[in-house]
Amino acid sequence: MSAEAPPLPATPWRSNLSRLTRLPGVFALAAVLVAFLVGLLLVVAMGVPLGKAIPAFLSGAFGSGYAISASLNRSVVFALVGLGFILANRAGLTNVGGEGQIAIGGIVATAVALYGGVDGLPLGLPFILPMLAATLAGGVWGGIAGVLRARVGTNEVISTLLLSFIAVWLLYWCVQSEHLLRQPMTTSATLPESAEIPHSTQLPLLTGSYATPVTIGLPIMIVLAILVAVVLARSGLGFRLRAVGLNPVASARAGIRVASTIVLAMFIAGALGGLAGAMMLQGEQYTLKTGFSSGYGFDGLVVGLLARGSVSGVLSAALLFAFLRSGGIAMEMSAGVPTALVMVIQGLIVIMIAGAAYWLERREASA
Amino acid sequence: MTWEMLAVFIGSSLRLATPLLLGAVGELVSERAGVLNMSIEGMMLTAALAGAVGAWATGSPEIGLLAGLLAVLPVAALQAFLTNGLRANQIVTGLGINILVLGITTLAYREIFGARSRETIPGFDKWSPPVLGDMPVFGEAVFQQVWLVYAAIGLVLLTGFVLAHTALGVAIKACGENPRAVDKSGLSVTMIRSGAVMFTGFTAALGGVFLSIGDIHTFTEGMTNGAGYIAIVAVIFGNWRMGRTVIACLLFGAATALQFQLPAMGIEIPNALLIMAPYLLAFIAVAGLVGRQNAPPALTVPYWRA
Amino acid sequence: MLQLEGISKRFGALAALSEVHIDFAAGEVHCLLGENGAGKSTLCNIVFGVHEADSGSMTLDGAVYRPTGPAEALGAGIAMVHQHFSLLEDMSVVDNLILGQGRGVLKRQEWAEKVRALGERFSLPLEPFARVGDLSIGERQRVEIVKCLMREPRVLILDEPTAVLLPDEIAALLAVCRRVAANGCAVILVTHKLAEIKQVADRVTVLRGGVVVTQSTEPEAEIDRLVEAMIGRDLGSLSGVASGAVGAEGAVGAFEASHTPDEAGEGAEEVVQIDGLTVRDTAGAVRLDNVTITLRRGEIVGVAGVEGNGQSELGLVLAGLLPATEGKVFVGTRELTRATPAEVTAAGVGIVPEDRHRVGSIVAMSLTDNLLLNRVERFTRFGLMRRGAMRRTAEAMIGRFDVRAAGPEVPFSSLSGGNQQKAVLARELETEGLVFLVASQPTRGLDVGAIESVYRLIREACARGVAVLLVSSELDELIGVADRIVVLYRGRAVGTLPARPENRPAIGAMMAGHAQ
Repeated sequence: MSAEAPPLPATPWRSNLSRLTRLPGVFALAAVLVAFLVGLLLVVAMGVPLGKAIPAFLSGAFGSGYAISASLNRSVVFALVGLGFILANRAGLTNVGGEGQIAIGGIVATAVALYGGVDGLPLGLPFILPMLAATLAGGVWGGIAGVLRARVGTNEVISTLLLSFIAVWLLYWCVQSEHLLRQPMTTSATLPESAEIPHSTQLPLLTGSYATPVTIGLPIMIVLAILVAVVLARSGLGFRLRAVGLNPVASARAGIRVASTIVLAMFIAGALGGLAGAMMLQGEQYTLKTGFSSGYGFDGLVVGLLARGSVSGVLSAALLFAFLRSGGIAMEMSAGVPTALVMVIQGLIVIMIAGAAYWLERREASA
Repeated sequence: MTWEMLAVFIGSSLRLATPLLLGAVGELVSERAGVLNMSIEGMMLTAALAGAVGAWATGSPEIGLLAGLLAVLPVAALQAFLTNGLRANQIVTGLGINILVLGITTLAYREIFGARSRETIPGFDKWSPPVLGDMPVFGEAVFQQVWLVYAAIGLVLLTGFVLAHTALGVAIKACGENPRAVDKSGLSVTMIRSGAVMFTGFTAALGGVFLSIGDIHTFTEGMTNGAGYIAIVAVIFGNWRMGRTVIACLLFGAATALQFQLPAMGIEIPNALLIMAPYLLAFIAVAGLVGRQNAPPALTVPYWRA
Repeated sequence: MLQLEGISKRFGALAALSEVHIDFAAGEVHCLLGENGAGKSTLCNIVFGVHEADSGSMTLDGAVYRPTGPAEALGAGIAMVHQHFSLLEDMSVVDNLILGQGRGVLKRQEWAEKVRALGERFSLPLEPFARVGDLSIGERQRVEIVKCLMREPRVLILDEPTAVLLPDEIAALLAVCRRVAANGCAVILVTHKLAEIKQVADRVTVLRGGVVVTQSTEPEAEIDRLVEAMIGRDLGSLSGVASGAVGAEGAVGAFEASHTPDEAGEGAEEVVQIDGLTVRDTAGAVRLDNVTITLRRGEIVGVAGVEGNGQSELGLVLAGLLPATEGKVFVGTRELTRATPAEVTAAGVGIVPEDRHRVGSIVAMSLTDNLLLNRVERFTRFGLMRRGAMRRTAEAMIGRFDVRAAGPEVPFSSLSGGNQQKAVLARELETEGLVFLVASQPTRGLDVGAIESVYRLIREACARGVAVLLVSSELDELIGVADRIVVLYRGRAVGTLPARPENRPAIGAMMAGHAQ
């Protein structure tokens, strides 16, 4: 009888399109292209000649060894937050607290680097210990949200967002108060920021030259990315994360410890954020100041979102956003196009990906 | 503390609570209908800029208000379409809209005002109601306010009445509790939820306009600075009830007022702690440390018919 | 009044309905009979506008009727009581009625009057200002029916309304159906219970596999023919249990109990002691009240009761998903009172949960993953999964338990309900050192073939000495399968009787709260 049902009209282009859109990479790429196109149109609308804006963008992003190195360092931060996001997301958790986890990492790394007595230690410990402490602290900060989710049922989106605001203002407090991390006030002009961390606690540069300041953060991140990929694809932990994310009740019945899996997932996500904060401090800024996290946490969230669960997606999106930011800053400086343009592009990408994600999943489910 | 200081404190608490109150009223309706509108921050920012531009270009704050209301329409419509049409993740799309709006308002502000950024913008005048405004000490300090403050109070009462005593209120609350029941009763979940989001856009626009041309008569980049998030936080801290949400807004307004008041009184409390207070209080609330949370069961859950 | 002509509907590859023609007449109670998956619910949903038919047409009073949503159906005078209630539990009865029917500023007292008036007219008493969350299941269904009747519908659809009701409540509901039909309304009653058809139907249409297989205007005289049409088999080929499952015992005459209580079980050792188990929910209400059950090796103990009388809680406590407030559970020599699910499994307890999709499986994961869900760590080496070994084990299980699937790696959701349940059973029966199996509503929603497989597997386990606690709301099944039956009423074990057909009335009375 089923053969008698009217056949669907044959529209080959349509089935091709649906096959294409089912590939997350292709769709993400399309969203990025559309967003860039809008960005270009805005540049034109602002009356800035493209002949000026594009070269400024490119030279800011790729124009020199320094530019590329700065972008790479930035991409490390985005990638770490993004990796944490997809790992927690595998367990059905949405970590929007990257910003706060970075801030906590920055605070703790500063405290340990300045006052932890690590300066004279051998074997690279002066820069390793602040990083480890920051990782742990970020993990605890993320883990709190995990515990609340597992024990009280608090939506982790709300709790991580609130924790982000709390952490950002905590950081503000730290650099405003001399009792905390503010540098000693010698004159009334002393800035509300921490003292510079000792040289030994700064991240070593891969090339040893400040002309190309890529830090060892890059190889550390790559190792972690491989680790996360293996965990997600092959490990028992990855299986548990997936099971808990898809059906926590059935997972519990099957003997999977759901609560501890949730806490662990949020801990790891937070830890990666904390590590990212330490790398920002020890690899680039060297002093802690207000606005330290500068939206990197939200960028990392967008990276994680764009990646749609894949580590390679995180890495490509992190690179894209890092170079986008570098280029955007250069564009503002030498072509007078505000960096806010980058926000427009990012916002559009988030909206398009998030808007399509559910629709895509729905189609996959019904196919 | 003198009576004068108390009066000033109450007056400025009320003034600082107004944008939160306006935002939170809409957000409460939307969350009771099951939509968490993170984009309220972006809506307020959009209206703040549009209100400033409108008032500056025409010299009339009333036209500024209208501009603010109109400018929020596409933002609210986008949020409504994403969450109710495409059933996209409410929180992520909200954050995306906020990033986009922050970018667009900053670009637009620089394009429009450019070097003239220090010009003052015509704003609403203050007004005091008869009798109350004539009270000694308190009359002027507390009750002399921009009319939007009184509009906010009226809006709270009206919204409270609609939620409690009308069929529309039942339908809105039903969308947040059991959208399937709404669908089966012949009403459209999509329409009700979208309407709730648009209503949030309306109240958020009033709040945003109040910020730029009601309160300080100027616009700065990213001037909402989290006011929208605090409105959401007030709803959470208010346990999704009108009365408690209003109290939360007043409390948060008072915490901000204290930032200016305390130094004048010679009391030293770290500024950061007062700024952090709303977030901290809300966090304590969602952590379940103070009573049970009664979030609408369908909050953030998209509705599919089948 | 309402005519369906050539209605077809597909979901993906599945043809849910094919070329269905039915006439529903005013003043008649028209029963739709069919097994799960026969297309009854799909048909109702098309009439009510939830789904749109792929082809075919409907006419209502001679005019073309093509609803695009429930709103239009309601507007056309068609109302539906759904199998799953859609009520606002946190609101009052009145507010539930106001939803979709009230306008503007509310006069709740007037609505309350309407509720009382309607309640009197149709014998559906309700307290208008009670909070729906505090009502019993039967009362909630009354709210749903009153909601529909308030619209004065011309067509009233009831989708399996009796599944959750007590015998008395069922009788009352059927009487309401008659009264509504007598008012000139076309009543469409979906059911798979033959007793109901005999009591109330003017006309019966039987669906199987999405096709109308037969119709009857004298259902009482033709019950056997209708049953055979419904299951697509001769009644003679059915085992007693399966005929019990379709409620055909009256039709086939004397009920043949196919499982004679194992006399050896009398002297066998006791392996499971459930002692004074009590559960209070977060609101403090007692859901399970001092329940004591002991099981011997190789014994099948049935737990009977109308849904919502503590069976779910009993299953959850035994599964380690709900902590008992008081009482103890021992399996063998181990105490499992507050054991985690993992400890329950380690003690040799298999659990077939009542909710196959929510608790029993992860439908988005593969068949292999679901078959091995409770022992992943045994397939983990140095933290990594041994995918090859998993696949081999799963393939062996698929063969042994006759799970029909396109392959071991297909998504669990692609399996039919019966095969999903067989896979869940396979996983639980393979529990290492299995001594105790808790099967809750194991045949719910399955067709006759799958029901037979499920009971064959349970019997085999039983023959190996496994003690089985079988929770079911289908009394006929329990009588066919179990050795003795414990009846739960309002959380209490109100009595235990041998599972014999002659005890059926006594058990039924206990289920309704008439304790002896």
